Amino acid sequence: MLKRNLNVIYYEFVKLTKIWLSYPIIFLFFTIFPLIWVLPFIFQGKALVGSFSSIPFKELTGSGNYLAFLLLGSIVSTYVFSGLWGVGNSLREETYWGTLEYLILSPTNPLVLLIGKTLTEFVYATITVFIQALVIVLILGVKVTLPKLLPIILIILLLLIGFYGFAIAFAGFTLLLKEVEGWIRTLEWIFYLFSPIRYPVEINPITKFIASFIPLTYALIAIRAIILLNKNIYSLSQIILILGIIDIVLIALAIFLFRFLEKKTRELGTIGTY
Amino acid sequence: MIKKTKKYLKAIWAENIKEWKIELSYKTDFLRTFIDPIVYLLPYLLYGIAIVGGRESQELKRLTGMGDIVSFILLGYIFIGFMNMALWAMGFSLRKEQYYGTLEQVFSTPVPRWVFTLGMALHSTLHQTLILLFQIIIINLIFTLSFNLSGILPSLIVVALMILSLYGFGMMIAGLTLTLKQGWLVSEALSGIMMVITPIAYPLAVLPIFLRKASYFIPSTYGIIATRHFLLNERLEIPLSTIYLRLFLLTIIWISFGLIVFYLIDKKTRKTGTLHTY
Repeated sequence: MLKRNLNVIYYEFVKLTKIWLSYPIIFLFFTIFPLIWVLPFIFQGKALVGSFSSIPFKELTGSGNYLAFLLLGSIVSTYVFSGLWGVGNSLREETYWGTLEYLILSPTNPLVLLIGKTLTEFVYATITVFIQALVIVLILGVKVTLPKLLPIILIILLLLIGFYGFAIAFAGFTLLLKEVEGWIRTLEWIFYLFSPIRYPVEINPITKFIASFIPLTYALIAIRAIILLNKNIYSLSQIILILGIIDIVLIALAIFLFRFLEKKTRELGTIGTY
Repeated sequence: MIKKTKKYLKAIWAENIKEWKIELSYKTDFLRTFIDPIVYLLPYLLYGIAIVGGRESQELKRLTGMGDIVSFILLGYIFIGFMNMALWAMGFSLRKEQYYGTLEQVFSTPVPRWVFTLGMALHSTLHQTLILLFQIIIINLIFTLSFNLSGILPSLIVVALMILSLYGFGMMIAGLTLTLKQGWLVSEALSGIMMVITPIAYPLAVLPIFLRKASYFIPSTYGIIATRHFLLNERLEIPLSTIYLRLFLLTIIWISFGLIVFYLIDKKTRKTGTLHTY
């Protein structure tokens, strides 16, 4: 049983990798453009304060270096948005390719297929994030040492376990709702507005409150604290605990929701509809 | 000639009505087109307030003569809608017909193809204007803005010229999608670059010289700086007469270039027989 499932995951990985390698320009685009999307904020900062450091910003975040704040937000959010599109929309893509019915009718558990898709998306996102981080390290001359890197990897993994759980549940919704591109775009803007990707959410009590329900907020605060404020892993134990609890809740909820939505779609007989 | 123009206008209007009907059939998505731009704008404003520590920026005042970051960013930001009109609505007009399965029928009618693209452009211009008004009202309710009302009329003239120029730009993208098929990447890349080089949330003065020079080829650059000058008294680095002249020239250049590119690609796809392929 385990061997069969691992086989399915492996072939899902091979299939998606082949598709990606067929469109190298898309890979290049998603490696370079997240950094270009940050540029307007950097120029905006320069126009509003005249330098790359801000005292009011330091009062809010502990560091006045808004340039590093923005770039770190951009890199970490690459994982989140690739998960949202790559995993959340993955079953919808199978509909476009005309292969969803075959997958659903095969004796494989759809959750195993989604695990395969999630792992592939993780590898893909990690390669793009690695290249982005390398560019930033070279441009800014940031020194990333092993004692800093290991806690960052731990926090990213904790963030992704919960987030991929959410994306799997969302993939279940695509079975039922079909066209969800609009919803994904709205979720994107919700993340941009209510998590500290591009600005410190502490600036407004409403954004601060809502951000406290989004795991990305905790991950970004912790990663920035390690890199920009030289905090060690022990001082961030509370954040790690919160992320761990969110992971357990989201994974359990994702498995339940996906199974429920898949069953519901089968009952309605709308698997094959667009 | 008059009869022909009348026929084209009728086709443009029919395309516009068709798009409204399709759009209004998906009510949630239609509503989202009004809400999403505001949600997208807020991080720009909140980020600005976070680094300045309030609404008034001394540095911005030094660069432009006005320091209210909320009004400055809002007036620049609303032009993104018009850029999207050229990049997405016009650029993808024919690709959309392909998705609907009606491209071949549309291409067989005795009306030039660019007429359909203009129909989509008309729909998008009207839709963007509604979104723009909605954004101004909502942001005004949240932040309380003050504009120079006497600047509305000259702003509208500049915006009209800018839209005409963007139509040419959109025509070029529409042509490219005919041959590239997956043209979303071109639109997405151009959109990312235009977001950087147009003075949406900052004055041109902060851009490196090569980016500043590139921005002079984008019609929305002039639309933004002139509108902010008329409505917010932003100091101009270029004389107003030059702005009008350049916009006028850009309109002629982009429309001619857009139509030529569109015509050539249309001819090529017909010759190679790849019009119907995905």
